[in-house]
Amino acid sequence: MARISRRELFKLSGGGALAARAGGIASILALKQAPAYAQATTLHWLRWNDFVPTSDALLLKEIVPECEKALGIKLTIEMINGNDIQARTTSAIQSGSGPDIICALNNWPQLYPESVVDVSDVAEEIGKAQGGYYDESKVVANDGKKWLAAPWCIVGALLAYRKSWFEEVGYPTGQFPQNWEQYRAAGKLLKANGHPMGQTLGHTFGDAPTYAYPYMWSFGGKEVQADGKTVVLNSKETTESVKFMTGFWKDAYDEGGLAWDDSSNNRAFLSGTCSCTLNGASIYLEAKRKPETYVTEKGTPLWQDILHAPLPKGAAGQFGYHLPMSNMLLAYSSNQKAAKEFLRWITSKEVYQKWFDTQQGYTVGATTIWEKDKLWEKDPVMLPFRTAARAGRFPGYEGPADRHAAEVLSKYIIIDMYAKAVQGMAAEDAVNWAHGEVASVHA
Amino acid sequence: MAVSDVTTTSDTYTGSVRRWPVTRLLEDERWLALVLLVPTMVLLGLFIAYPFVKGVELSVTDAKVGVPGNFVGMQNFVGLLNDSIFRVAVWNTIVYTAVTTVFKLALGLWLALLLNRNFKGKALTRAFILLPFIIPTVLSTFAWKWMFDPTFSVINWTLFRLGIISSRINWLGDPSLALISVIIVNVWRGVPFYAISLLAGLQTINPELQDAAAIDGARPWQRFWYVTWPLLLPVTMVVVLFSVIQTFADFQLVYVLTGGGPANATQLFATYAYQIGVGTGLLSQGAAISLAMFPVLLVVVIVQLLYIRRVETL
Amino acid sequence: MIEGAKWRRWIFFYIPLCAFIFTLLFPFYWMLVTAVRPDSELYRPWSAPNYAPFWTSHPTLDHITYLLQETLFSTWMLNTLLISIAATLISLFCGLLAGYALSRLKFRFAGMLGTAIFITYLVPQTLLFIPLADIIRNFRLGDTPWALILTYPTFLIPFCTWLLMGYFKAIPRELEECARIDGAARWQAMLYIIFPIAVPGILSAGIFAFTLSWNEFIYALVFLSSPAEKTVSVGVTSELIRGDVFYWGSLMAGALLGSIPVAFVYSFFVEYYVAGLTGAVKG
Repeated sequence: MARISRRELFKLSGGGALAARAGGIASILALKQAPAYAQATTLHWLRWNDFVPTSDALLLKEIVPECEKALGIKLTIEMINGNDIQARTTSAIQSGSGPDIICALNNWPQLYPESVVDVSDVAEEIGKAQGGYYDESKVVANDGKKWLAAPWCIVGALLAYRKSWFEEVGYPTGQFPQNWEQYRAAGKLLKANGHPMGQTLGHTFGDAPTYAYPYMWSFGGKEVQADGKTVVLNSKETTESVKFMTGFWKDAYDEGGLAWDDSSNNRAFLSGTCSCTLNGASIYLEAKRKPETYVTEKGTPLWQDILHAPLPKGAAGQFGYHLPMSNMLLAYSSNQKAAKEFLRWITSKEVYQKWFDTQQGYTVGATTIWEKDKLWEKDPVMLPFRTAARAGRFPGYEGPADRHAAEVLSKYIIIDMYAKAVQGMAAEDAVNWAHGEVASVHA
Repeated sequence: MAVSDVTTTSDTYTGSVRRWPVTRLLEDERWLALVLLVPTMVLLGLFIAYPFVKGVELSVTDAKVGVPGNFVGMQNFVGLLNDSIFRVAVWNTIVYTAVTTVFKLALGLWLALLLNRNFKGKALTRAFILLPFIIPTVLSTFAWKWMFDPTFSVINWTLFRLGIISSRINWLGDPSLALISVIIVNVWRGVPFYAISLLAGLQTINPELQDAAAIDGARPWQRFWYVTWPLLLPVTMVVVLFSVIQTFADFQLVYVLTGGGPANATQLFATYAYQIGVGTGLLSQGAAISLAMFPVLLVVVIVQLLYIRRVETL
Repeated sequence: MIEGAKWRRWIFFYIPLCAFIFTLLFPFYWMLVTAVRPDSELYRPWSAPNYAPFWTSHPTLDHITYLLQETLFSTWMLNTLLISIAATLISLFCGLLAGYALSRLKFRFAGMLGTAIFITYLVPQTLLFIPLADIIRNFRLGDTPWALILTYPTFLIPFCTWLLMGYFKAIPRELEECARIDGAARWQAMLYIIFPIAVPGILSAGIFAFTLSWNEFIYALVFLSSPAEKTVSVGVTSELIRGDVFYWGSLMAGALLGSIPVAFVYSFFVEYYVAGLTGAVKG
């Protein structure tokens, strides 16, 4: 560790940081005072608490001291529940004080364009050095003219399924239903065997939207046209998707799913009541971490019976919506220069690599270079995550991922459209209702 | 802190004929009232007045997070009238408040009457009964969330084993059951508070009154209705008043249990305001939703306040 | 208290009381069982044949040790305790004085002021926290316990004031007048005659205020940022919920450890509160 940090120290802090630090020490010596941390540059970074505890441990135990060594920045990392970040962001911006850098989920940077610093220099530099960003990362962090945030990572969302149970319904290892019809047929058989598929259509920020949006897109439905104004939700394609869903839900899904939150499908899958569900890699990694705790009905470790696959194809193609994260530098920060320096450092290949390794494939990098990483050679089950982000789209398609898209998303309109239909509302009425809501958001 | 100075310096001085100027001043009811009200006024003035004014100001602009916005008059409120989710939230909030209040009052009063007796382990029971109210709402709601979970529900298991149900109950997934589930949790959390407040009220009632009525041959429920209840009414009204307001603005419970879903079946004023104001960054609209509950609440409150006055002047 | 046959006592007293206790405390039993349940038993669906929801066959202390050793739980408890006590004392002090003034003194605008104090309670918290953050910053209170100690009274004072007004009104005026005839100053009558009688009211207002401070969430979330400053509800949810992975056992352990000690403390208060009462009424 020490060797790496020393190398980085020379490489990265050649310019301002080292000089500033030396100046700091010189002035301390001149004043004959004990070195006081108050005089060092401090940065406060707010993030969510990670699925992977070792990643958080790495940040706190290794990255923080290394950052101080390399950049002379005393870094404070605060981790809170992902759901609560927006409350903190809002009050920080409104009162003009708070964390210098906030790691935003989804397209939150688009909600606060007036309150963030243009980080185009950092983002462009990293993008160029690391093979360019995925569309999804770009669309949430770039407003078309400049970068509102520096992309950090993408949490892949794929179907986790039980190998043996899919074998029972005619899909030997390596094969998986390709389109929604096949998927539904397989689900019907699985449910008849007592192994329904599981999916939430509740108000959750993770699993419900990452399922509902790609499902709609694959049928050809979309919220708006490319101009971002003309609402076209009420289309033949959307109605078709809603109609298909109502039967599909009864045929294949665990009907308790309407109430599930982001953790329910993990529990259901790990306990062996669910054959297939859209999720991050958390189910598989958790099962692998505790092989004795999670076992199949035959008594074998559960993780050996899990595989991943993308959501099936529809008439309009095959899509995914993976959760992008990016770091916003807040305009009220008094340490903007240091903060940019820090962002450049932490997203640089060498430093990011350490964090990326601890993630075990849970998240993919925001740039395409990480597809080539040797991490993917370790575990073939994780392989589908490697390139998942390529098929990623973001809500608001085919318009920009702007505030309107975020409002539709945070009002759960698309999800509720399906939920209403599943609860018995006629497909046309559900689509009509959702169209009206989306239109009033864009009005 | 002028007040504490007055009280502490005067503590050493006990009832003598000679009076200090401050004390003389405090003999005047108006001055004493002023002095007594100062700490409250200062605290509330500092921490409520400004934010409230700011909130009202926000609701008549088109402010977003980080953007001050321009004055738009009542536009945000007019917009709400055409908002179908808002209408659902209003209805849910009213049902939620009304139903929970009735149950909390009835069960709370019953429990208070039970606890007002002498029995072994009285103190411990009285304290532990408060547990649902003590436990941080966020955490107890997680426990309930698990008890309602379709796959793991212990409630379903019990009902199934008792042969009452044959298939599982989709507690939080079915739209009407979801609201009922939220109501159950709120009642569970609220009953102890009602019970203990009403118990305190019951304790101030002189038992001799009861005894006198009993000698006059009044049956137990008559004694309750004609002796206990009228005396308990003032405390009850205050407790109900505060509980109604709290329930009306309830946030945490729904935020954790359902997030307002499924399909807005449990969406309340506060959760919707949060979703719009914080989740979408449309501060002005969020403020408008929050303030839209103000007039509704105000009506409820005025009716109750008038009623309290009437009861007290009787 | 209940006259007549034994069965009447059972029907009207023991059975309902036990039903109440069972319903109110069952979730706590559930938390306890969950807190000591190993993950392999935790993840067992209710339809499984060996599902035993009411009992844990191989209890483990792992979740509790994790909570106590890997998180700052004891620091959070201490923070919450200090903040709640301070906020409660401030609110009781203000509420006691204001309640007395509004209920027993005659002055202009008394009714209006009472209503005004009341109305501040109507201001929704979910909205308030955003502009309030401004004030917290201006006073430089951010990330200190004072941010909560001073803001919690905003929703505690109105209730304390009103509840105490109710109690004060119920106390006969003659008591005070007797003292005044004996030569006590007005404030002395208030301090030595009225306040002691109102002890049960003060206690129930205190219990209420303490409890609300104890489980407040949103202000604590927004105004505090260092892990070592956090309160129980914010700390536990930020450490034990990681994305879509919940540390159920530790969460439930946190819920239990964060509430049962308080109930024990209350049991002493409740005793006193009843004793104080009988004294007040009989004396």
